[in-house]
Amino acid sequence: MAQVPPLPIGPAGVPGAVPDQLSVETTVQQERDLAQPGARADEFGVAPELGFWRLAVIRFLHHRVATGALIILSIIVLSAIIVPIITGDLYRIQDYRHPFKPPFQSLQHLLGTDDLGRDELARLLRGARVSIMVGVLAVVGYLLIGGTLGALAGYYGGWLDNALMRFTDIIISAPFLLVVIAVTAATGGVRLTTVIIVIAATGWYEIGRLMRAQFLVLREQEFVQAARALGASNARIIVRHILPNALAPIIVSATLGVSGIVLLEAALGFLGYSIPPPEPSWGNMLQNFEQYLLDDQAYLVVFPATALVVTALCINLVGDGIRDALDPRQR
Amino acid sequence: MTFYLIRRVAIGILLLFLMSAMFFTLTRVTPGRPITVGENPKIHQSVINLRLHRLGLTDEQGNSYPIPQQYVLYLGALLHGDLGDSYLNNEKVTTLLMQRLPNSLLLLGVALLVALAIGIPLGIFAATRQYSKLDITTSLVSYIGVSIPSFVLGIYLLLIFGVILKQSPLHWGFPLFGMHTGGVDDPIDLLYHMVLPVTSLAILQIAIFSRFMRASMLEVLHQDYIRTARAKGLSLEKVNYKHALRNAILPIITLVAIAIPQIVNGAIITEGIFSWPGTGQLAFQAVVTRDYPVILGVVMLVAAGTILFNLIADVTYAIADPRIRY
Repeated sequence: MAQVPPLPIGPAGVPGAVPDQLSVETTVQQERDLAQPGARADEFGVAPELGFWRLAVIRFLHHRVATGALIILSIIVLSAIIVPIITGDLYRIQDYRHPFKPPFQSLQHLLGTDDLGRDELARLLRGARVSIMVGVLAVVGYLLIGGTLGALAGYYGGWLDNALMRFTDIIISAPFLLVVIAVTAATGGVRLTTVIIVIAATGWYEIGRLMRAQFLVLREQEFVQAARALGASNARIIVRHILPNALAPIIVSATLGVSGIVLLEAALGFLGYSIPPPEPSWGNMLQNFEQYLLDDQAYLVVFPATALVVTALCINLVGDGIRDALDPRQR
Repeated sequence: MTFYLIRRVAIGILLLFLMSAMFFTLTRVTPGRPITVGENPKIHQSVINLRLHRLGLTDEQGNSYPIPQQYVLYLGALLHGDLGDSYLNNEKVTTLLMQRLPNSLLLLGVALLVALAIGIPLGIFAATRQYSKLDITTSLVSYIGVSIPSFVLGIYLLLIFGVILKQSPLHWGFPLFGMHTGGVDDPIDLLYHMVLPVTSLAILQIAIFSRFMRASMLEVLHQDYIRTARAKGLSLEKVNYKHALRNAILPIITLVAIAIPQIVNGAIITEGIFSWPGTGQLAFQAVVTRDYPVILGVVMLVAAGTILFNLIADVTYAIADPRIRY
């Protein structure tokens, strides 16, 4: 067998994919070296092999817009995590002498104050916390529910598959916002945990369907047949062989899902069905928009709205960057 | 085809049943009795009992029916086209829906038409001039369009056209809220009031349509028969707009059907923001006041509409594309 330089892309990072490049004469030691990319690979006269994921990271970093979006997003996330710890209760300290203080006038209230004299910047950052927390936790829920059910439905088919498809049909044909609201109301009171659980429980179908489609394709592939022939159990085939290959589109969909949830949470907050008032969220900060607009306090509307749009835009850009990085053929 | 149609309709009805059961249970296990909403606290017990009975919740003595029995009663009424009474207004839900539906259909229809009329040509031009300035701008704008929820867009539009432009020396802007009293009788005025809500609803769909159209067109343009058509000497225009477009535009039919629940979702908030007297505003108010029969009614209406449109889309697709058989 001739020495073929390993392909830089493709399933190289997937466990078990490397050894087919070895010639008959390779010793055990050389085999180990190949299994640890870059260790002594230069002896073979090939460039140190990079794993699939490392290559993806490099491709992502070459994508300037996506990298920029990631930086902005990290700034938002980090300040949302760190700043409220330092400022503490600032977001709910009311200063009745200085309500509606316009922005960019003093360092004490950089973005001004709202109708109760609370610092707008502190409230925005606190609200970012809510948005990001809901976004991330609900997507984890999507992945747990949708990922598991989708994988099982795609792998085994049968009644589970049918049930998944029918559930999706129901959810798709109902107005999602009203569904979430009705379920939230039915589970009694509006709490953040309820909102997260409800969003996760009703929105997982997209990832579920994607996972199902991946599994439907992958379970027929030869490496799965090979694994089965070698006596691997179903659980092992699902977790070790199919799952790593199915991950790429799931990661993209999950990333884009976060921005969808951030927007959904804002819409819910706007309608009064997310975290209740003393606690700020970008949605409920917009609730009094009519009054603010008519009374010339537009900044109280512009800041949360813009924060929302910038965050969603950045998440989408990062998601697209990841898509391009993980699947270079598709562009 | 006939068998397929029958099967689809049957599945649709089954879905509606499932959905009504799901939502009915949800609204019934919700804490708070309907009579506690917006009612005089000094009201006599017998009046309460009478009203609860009329709402189909209790018998004459004021004993609650169990939920399954309530559901059967609800279904019985539903089969007669009765969605129950609103908790808040002393009106039938169907009456409320019928009052609002024409306004909503007008708004949603115009928004959809505008989105199609702008989004599809934009996608086609972007695809035929791939990587040109127009293409990059379209992608960029559609990107931002997807990231702005319609209610935030609505608020921005109100700010720009309702506040900033009105206060500027121009003293000009679009009306902020509602439909003029003239309503449908005064088309010019109606149009004037529709500009902002239609814009805020259409932008997202324009973004989606143009993106999809671009992708679909690009896919077709890279196929062999297009190269053949070019190779045999047909003009670029003829190939693009006759050979490629016909195939590329077909999937849009399905996309429109998918877009409908999205537009309705957006309309719930958009109509609320712009005080447009449609079903969305009805749902918006019902959500804020927790008027569950109305929420349930809107959900059922939208679901029925979605299922119907999906069916129509599939049938249209089969008619438009003879390669598809069911």
